[in-house]
Amino acid sequence: MSAIKFINQFPAEETFDYDKRIKLLRKRKVEQTEEKARNGGANEDDYGLIVQDEFQYKLKPNHENGSIYGYKAWTENYCAILDSHPLYCDPLDAFVGKGFLFLERLRPVTCKWNPAYPFDELKVLFDKYNVISGIDNCHHFTPDLQIGFDLGWGGILQKLKEQRALHDESHYEFYDSEIAVVEAIIRFLKRCAAELKELGDQEQNLYLKENLYEMSRVNKKVADGKPETFREAVQWMCWFSMLSRTYNRGSAGGQLDEMLRPYYEKDIAEGILTDEEAVFYLACLFLQDSRYFQLGGPDINGEDMTSKISYLCLDAADKINIACNLTIRVHDKLDEKFFKKSVAYLFKNKQGWPRYSSDSALAEGFMKCGYSLEMARKRVAAGCHWMCIPGMEYTMNDTVKINLLKVFEVAYQEMMADKSEAPSSENLWKRYEKHLKVAVDATGNGIMHHLKYQSKSQPELILNLFQHGLIEKGVNITDGGANYYNMCVDGSGLAVVADSFAACEQRIEKEKKLTYEALTKHIANNFEDEDGEYIRQLMQHSEKYCGGDSLGDIWAKRVSKLYTELVRDLNVQHPGINFIPGFFSWSNTLGLGSTVGATPNGRKAGEAINHGANPNGGFRKDGAVSSMCNSIGAIQPGYGNCAPVQLEFDPGIVNDAEGVDKMAAMIKTIMNTGNTLLNINIIDANKILEAHKDPFKYPDLVVRVTGFTAFFAMLTPEFRQLVVDRVTSVNGNKINVE
Amino acid sequence: MMKGIVTDIQRFSLNDGAGIRTTVFLKGCNMRCSWCHNPETISAHSQLMFYENKCIGCGKCFQVCPQGAHKMVDGKHVIDRDLCVNCGKCTESCYAEALVMCGKFMSTDDVMKQVRQDKAYYDASHGGVTISGGEVLCNSAFAEELTDKCHKEGIEVAIETNLSIPFEKVQSLFEKVDFVMCDLKIFEDELHKEYTGISNKVVLENMKKLDTLNKPVIVRTPLIPGVTDTKENICAIAEYIKDMKNLQRYELLNFNPLGEGKYRSLDKENVFEKARPLSAEALQELQSVLADMGIEYKIV
Repeated sequence: MSAIKFINQFPAEETFDYDKRIKLLRKRKVEQTEEKARNGGANEDDYGLIVQDEFQYKLKPNHENGSIYGYKAWTENYCAILDSHPLYCDPLDAFVGKGFLFLERLRPVTCKWNPAYPFDELKVLFDKYNVISGIDNCHHFTPDLQIGFDLGWGGILQKLKEQRALHDESHYEFYDSEIAVVEAIIRFLKRCAAELKELGDQEQNLYLKENLYEMSRVNKKVADGKPETFREAVQWMCWFSMLSRTYNRGSAGGQLDEMLRPYYEKDIAEGILTDEEAVFYLACLFLQDSRYFQLGGPDINGEDMTSKISYLCLDAADKINIACNLTIRVHDKLDEKFFKKSVAYLFKNKQGWPRYSSDSALAEGFMKCGYSLEMARKRVAAGCHWMCIPGMEYTMNDTVKINLLKVFEVAYQEMMADKSEAPSSENLWKRYEKHLKVAVDATGNGIMHHLKYQSKSQPELILNLFQHGLIEKGVNITDGGANYYNMCVDGSGLAVVADSFAACEQRIEKEKKLTYEALTKHIANNFEDEDGEYIRQLMQHSEKYCGGDSLGDIWAKRVSKLYTELVRDLNVQHPGINFIPGFFSWSNTLGLGSTVGATPNGRKAGEAINHGANPNGGFRKDGAVSSMCNSIGAIQPGYGNCAPVQLEFDPGIVNDAEGVDKMAAMIKTIMNTGNTLLNINIIDANKILEAHKDPFKYPDLVVRVTGFTAFFAMLTPEFRQLVVDRVTSVNGNKINVE
Repeated sequence: MMKGIVTDIQRFSLNDGAGIRTTVFLKGCNMRCSWCHNPETISAHSQLMFYENKCIGCGKCFQVCPQGAHKMVDGKHVIDRDLCVNCGKCTESCYAEALVMCGKFMSTDDVMKQVRQDKAYYDASHGGVTISGGEVLCNSAFAEELTDKCHKEGIEVAIETNLSIPFEKVQSLFEKVDFVMCDLKIFEDELHKEYTGISNKVVLENMKKLDTLNKPVIVRTPLIPGVTDTKENICAIAEYIKDMKNLQRYELLNFNPLGEGKYRSLDKENVFEKARPLSAEALQELQSVLADMGIEYKIV
C-alpha cells in the first residue's frame, strides 16, 4: 500500500524547480493509479482517492440494516471520520488535501434509501422499463465556491450560528448538524496545519522543509479564515474537494479561471506570485482531483471571460498531463488564440482534455425553460455531461436514466402478442408512445419522491453550505433550499431504438424482405436459429441513425421529439419543478443493455446499448464525423441539457498546424450546428489493444470514457472492451495485423 | 441531367485538399499505375467486389447467380471472373455486404444531396468538394456540371487529376474549378510508360498550360518504393515545377498499402503487395533534397 507521508525522501542539499517537482508528482500519481487499478479499479472518475492501509473507518449505523439515515447519523459519522482522518502529505506538492474514502459508500449497497419511505409501486414500473430512478443518489449539482472564498469556514460557521438564532426549533436539526460538521472541518484543518509544521521540523531537505512550513502557514490560515492569496485560494479548493468527496463524493466545478483571477491579479500586482508559480499551483490542483472546471466562455454580458489565467490553466494541465476534466465553452467571441491552443494541446497530449461545450445551444435551450440569457450563461460545465448554475440549482444531473430500449422491447412484445391488430411500425410507435409516457411519468414521480424524503435519507451537509440563500432558509437543498429545481431526466439507447424502428420499416414494410412474425422468431432465438445470422445482417445494414437523412435519422428525431414532450409534460404534473430532457448513458451502456433481449436492428441479447447520443457502429461506410454530428445536433432536446457527441480519432489525424486548424474548424462547426457538448478521444488503436491485454503496460494512458476522463488501467475488463470497441470501430483499419 | 459512375462519396475527408471536404470518387481511369491503391476505380464499369472476411457463409449467392459464377474451390468461396457479368444479382441477396457492386450511376443532383449536408464544415474550414478518380478528366462533363452546382450553392471545388488528357479537351473544367491537385508520378518518360501505361508528355505540357490559368496548384508524387521514391525522380520533378507561379507546394504522398484488401476483393494481382511505406529516415532524405532546392513541400 502507498505511504501517506513522504518525509526525508531526498538528501538535505538536493534542489528542486517546479518542473522537477511536477515530474516527480506525476510519477507518484501514475504509481498510485496502478496500485488502485490492481486493487480492482472502477468505471468512473479518478477522484484523486489514495489507496492506503493506515486508516479504515467503520460505519456507525443508526438502523438495523446497517445503514445510516438522516441528519444525526450522517453528522456523527462524518465528524468521527474527520476527527480520526490522517493527513496525506507530499512535500513536493504545493498543497495537502488527499482523501481516502467516501462516507456514502460505507453504507450497505442495497440499503441506501431510508426504508421508512418506500416506493414499491414505482419500483414495479422502474423494473418494467429499466429506469434508473436517481432516488437516493446524491450531490450532482454544483456548489458556488465563491461563498467559501468570501466567508472561509469560520465565516460559514458564524453565519450558521447567526441564522440558527433567527429560526424556530423546527430548523435546529439542520443547523445543529451543519454547525457540528463545520466545527469538525475547522478542527481537522487546524490539526493538519499543526502537523505540517511538525513535518517541516522533521524534513531534512531544506527546500522541502521550507515548503512544508509554507504549507502549514497557508493551512492555518484557511482552516477558518478566508483565503486571500492565490495559493491560499487553491489550497482552500483542494480541501473543499477532499471534504465534499469524503462526505458523499460531492461535486464541485465552476468557472475556474474567473474564480481564481482576482487572486492571481492581486498577487501578481503585489509581486508575490509569478506565472511559473501559478502554473505549478494549478498543476497541483489538477493532480489533487479530476474535478470538472470550465474555462473561457461568455460572461453575463456576452463578453469573453478568457484571461491570462485561462491560458495558465491550459499550461498547467499540459504540464501535469493526467486525467483532467476541463471544458471550454465555445461562443462567437471566444479568444481564438486560446481556442487554438486548447485544440493543439488536445491533439498533442491525447489525454481527452479539454472538451468543448456550445454556448449558443446551451443558452438558447435553457432560456426556453424560462431563464434569462444572463442566468443561462452562468450555467457552467460541472459534470460528465451536465451544466449547473453554481449555488443556485438542485438538479439530480446524470443520476436519472430511462432505458428507451427496454421501453421499446415492452412495446414490441405487446404488439406481437396482440393479434387484433396487424403489426406495423406505426402500430409499434403508438404502443411505444403509450409505454414511454408511463415510464417518464413514473420517473417524474420518482424524482418527486426523492425530493420529498431525501433529507430523511441523506442530507447534503457539505454542498448545502455553498448554496445561495440556503443557510438563511435553514433547510436541506431537497426541502426547498435551492433557488431552482431543474431536474435532469436522461434517455438512454436512442440509437438502438431509432435503428430498430428504421430496420422494421425498411426491411419489413418497404422492401418486404421478411415479416414481423419471422423477425420476432429470430429475435426470440437471439438470431441463432436457421437463417438467424442472415436476417441479423439484413437488419443491421438498414439505414441507420447518423447516416445522413436516413430512415434511422428520421426515427431518431421522432423519438427525441416524443421524449422531449413527455419529459416537459412533467412540469404540468408537478408545478414548480422544471424537468429537463437529455440523452446520455454515462457508464451504464453495459448494464442497460444487459436487461434487453435481441432487438430488430440486429443487436443481440444483452449487448450494450449505444453510448450517450452516439450512433451504433457502422452508421456509415465512411464513418463521417460530419454526418454523425449533424444527426446528433438534430436530436438535441433543446432545453439546456445535453446529448453529447463522443468522437474517437486516430492520432494520425493531426500531424501539423494545418491539421490543428482543420480540427479547430470541425469543433467550431459541431458547436454551431445544434450540438451541446463534445468529447474527443485521440487514441492509437494498436496502443489501446495492447493496453487492453496488459493494462499496466501503459498505466498513464488516459481515455475519455463517457463524460469523464479516466486512467484506462482503472477500468474493468468489460468497460475496457467497450472503449476498445468504440476506438477500433473508427480506427480499425490502423490496427497492425500480425 | 448528366449521370456519372461514382465509386464512392467520402464525407469528412481531411487529406484531399484544403479544409474539411467531401471527396467524390469517379470511376474510370486512363492510366494503369501498377501500384494504384484504388484499383476499384480503374475500370469505367460497375464491378463486383467480394470481401471474404465479411462473408457469413449463407450460400444465398450461389442460389441466385444466373451465371453460376460463385463456386466452392477447395472449401473456399471463389468467384469465377470469366463467368461473372457483374449483374449484381448476388449483391442483392448478400445481407452481410460481403458482395457489393462498386460503381453506381448517379446524377449530379444525387451527389449534391450528400455534398450539401456538410456545407457548414466547408465554410468553417475553407474546405469544399474534391472530385477525384479514377481520373476526373475522363469524366470531365459530369465534373463540370457538378462544379457548377457546387458553385451555385457557394461550395468550392477542387479536382485531383493525372493531367493526362489533352488540355483543350478539358480546359473548361480547369477554368471552372477553384483548385487543382495534380500528380506527376515519374519524370523519366520510358519509366512512366512502363509503370502507368502511358507517356507523360501530355502531363508535362499540361502542367505548364495549367499554370497560365492562375489557379492554385498542388503537385503530388506518390512515393512508390523502388519506382518513384528515388532522389533523381523527386529532384527532376521538383526542378520542373518549382518555377510555376501558381504552385502552392509539392507534396510527397507516402506509399499507401490500404489498397490490399481491394485487390483481393476484385481478384486482381497486387504487384506491390509486399511494399510498405517509406521509413522516417528515407523520407528525411527526400525532404533534405527538397529543402535544398528551396521548394515549398509537404510529406503526407
